[in-house]
Amino acid sequence: MSQELKNGLWAKITRNMSLANISIIATILVAVLATLDRGGYMLVNTLVEGGMIALMSMGLALTLGVLNIPMFAHGEFFMIGTLVGYYVFTPLSSYMTSHPESYLVFWGPIITILAAAVAGAIAGVIVELFIFRQLRKRSRENWVMNSFLLTVGLSVVLINGHQLFFGADFKGIVGYYHGSPLTILGVYISRDRCFASIVAVLVVALFWYFITHTRIGRAIRSVSQDETGALMVGIPINAILMLTMALSCALAAVAGAGLLFMYPSYPTVGLMPLYMAWFVVILAGLGNVMGAVMCSFMVALLRVLTITYIGSGWDLVFPSILIILILIFKPSGIFGTEVRGVLDK
Amino acid sequence: MNNTTRANNPFDKFLDLTCLTPFGLLTILILAVLPFVPPFNHEYLIRWLISAALMACLAIAFDFTAGLINIVNFGYCAIMGLGAYTSAIMVSRLGCNIWLSMLIGGLLAAMAGVVIGVITLRLRGIFAACLAWFFGLALMGTTIKLVWLTRGPMGLEAKRLMDTQSNVPYYYVILLMMVAIYAICRWVTRTKMGVAFKAIGQNMEAARTSGINPVLYRLANFVLSCTIAGVVGGFYAHYYGILTPDMMKTAKTVEVLAVAYIGGRGSLWGGAAIAFPLTFAMELLRSSLSNLPGINLVIYGILLVTVMIYYPGGFAEFFDSHIRKTKGKVMGYILNGASGGNNTI
Repeated sequence: MSQELKNGLWAKITRNMSLANISIIATILVAVLATLDRGGYMLVNTLVEGGMIALMSMGLALTLGVLNIPMFAHGEFFMIGTLVGYYVFTPLSSYMTSHPESYLVFWGPIITILAAAVAGAIAGVIVELFIFRQLRKRSRENWVMNSFLLTVGLSVVLINGHQLFFGADFKGIVGYYHGSPLTILGVYISRDRCFASIVAVLVVALFWYFITHTRIGRAIRSVSQDETGALMVGIPINAILMLTMALSCALAAVAGAGLLFMYPSYPTVGLMPLYMAWFVVILAGLGNVMGAVMCSFMVALLRVLTITYIGSGWDLVFPSILIILILIFKPSGIFGTEVRGVLDK
Repeated sequence: MNNTTRANNPFDKFLDLTCLTPFGLLTILILAVLPFVPPFNHEYLIRWLISAALMACLAIAFDFTAGLINIVNFGYCAIMGLGAYTSAIMVSRLGCNIWLSMLIGGLLAAMAGVVIGVITLRLRGIFAACLAWFFGLALMGTTIKLVWLTRGPMGLEAKRLMDTQSNVPYYYVILLMMVAIYAICRWVTRTKMGVAFKAIGQNMEAARTSGINPVLYRLANFVLSCTIAGVVGGFYAHYYGILTPDMMKTAKTVEVLAVAYIGGRGSLWGGAAIAFPLTFAMELLRSSLSNLPGINLVIYGILLVTVMIYYPGGFAEFFDSHIRKTKGKVMGYILNGASGGNNTI
């Protein structure tokens, strides 16, 4: 009897053991072990960084899945987010120091994040209108590669445009919220980190709801699965494409503004988040939005582990090697890609 | 190409051998006497000429992969940096002959090319580009961290190739290298292999169905292109005399890519032809508008985006369709050569 039960259980386990589940369980195990070894900071860092990488990589996965654009300039929208965050929050914070009782002390950072999101969305619309729509009108042959190269050019323009108009110096803030750090289970967490992770969790949850439970979200997913079919059932493709672009850029900008206290704004601030977002998107499978959220935490954990145990600076090498291995052995990623179009074009 | 008529007189035979048209030969001769013509005989202008020729070499070899088999080698400058570092270390640590060590650098770069070729074999388009990119990132990260060997960000000093203070001998070396690289690439393109490259680049499935083994050809392409990058990297090391990991950055690859694509993909000579005016324009902009840092790269990026959208053929297509189609017999000979000048300059 017990033997039978054991067999049944084992069969159940093996049936559910996809690569995705294995990797999620392994990630959680490693995170717990590392936390026991080096204390709770590991977990906190992983969560803060993973949340922000999740925002970046969701946008990247979305542009890849819906517009079929491998976005190389995604880090530059992060940069736009940090820039807007800096220029909005600096006057707010000087007002706050003179009026410490004002309601802005609480709402200021939130206004900053919203402003960054709006600016990112506007930037996305501009880019879609003036660059990608122009290319789409002219030629759709070899689209993935051509649009990739376009985003490369866009990235050069934006990085150097920042340097031209705003200078190459660091533009940072001291922090969003002042006051003593919070203590959770003996670990001190600064208020800014808490704020950043709350923002990340909220935005990811909102976005998930939007993409799975609303009409427009369903339209976006249908375009990513089959553009011609979506056109046939009357979905306005151009509007959806523009909305997707605006959304994904807004997500990157939110990540930038949320992390402004860690990454001050300078021209190439977006490079590291860009690399990380690409790692995640390839790890999860191109265009898989929800897989990207999971993989963000894996990549963040890998990064934190590398920095803690091997030393900073190697955090580019080990994720790269991991991605190379993934690409060799399983090009469709851990969670599998839902978007066949990217592979064929 | 295949339908070339055999040239009879020795001059035409020589041109056929070097894959040049009379116009191309004239251009190279003009470039060769340029260091003695008044506005160009200043040392700093010769330095610009050298960097333009360096860019031209890289653009030719980059286009050999990107234009023919349609895979963008996004880690190209990292490969070049591998060759440069190898060469510099061979000279300083082992006391090797400089010319020999440049070749050894090329050999090591060729091995990296084999690695990239093997790991990208199953992938196409954007995946292969990403993989080459991450390979380059891993290479750069390793270079930064192996301080005992490469001195990391402090920069590695390399012995100069020649004992002179003048830049002119260097200019002739790199010009000769440029012509040789062009001739080699063009020779390969004229054989059966070149046709196979084009077939693979246009449609891999169709090429495979017609009995072309993509493994062999893709590997061969990567090896040749990366070897050239390594040797040119050796020249870079022994000309500038100082190496930093900055030379392996993605931004440098983007510069090469922009030159190759503005020049015209798949033409090989387009990038080399456009490298000289483009480098001069960029340097002029930078030195005359030094109060606006970054403006030259902004224009560079805008140029790349514009060309990609509105004129994907680049300069080579413009030249082929507007200038080369001349009515006059003499001009026709000068521009096209005896063999009909298919794709050559």
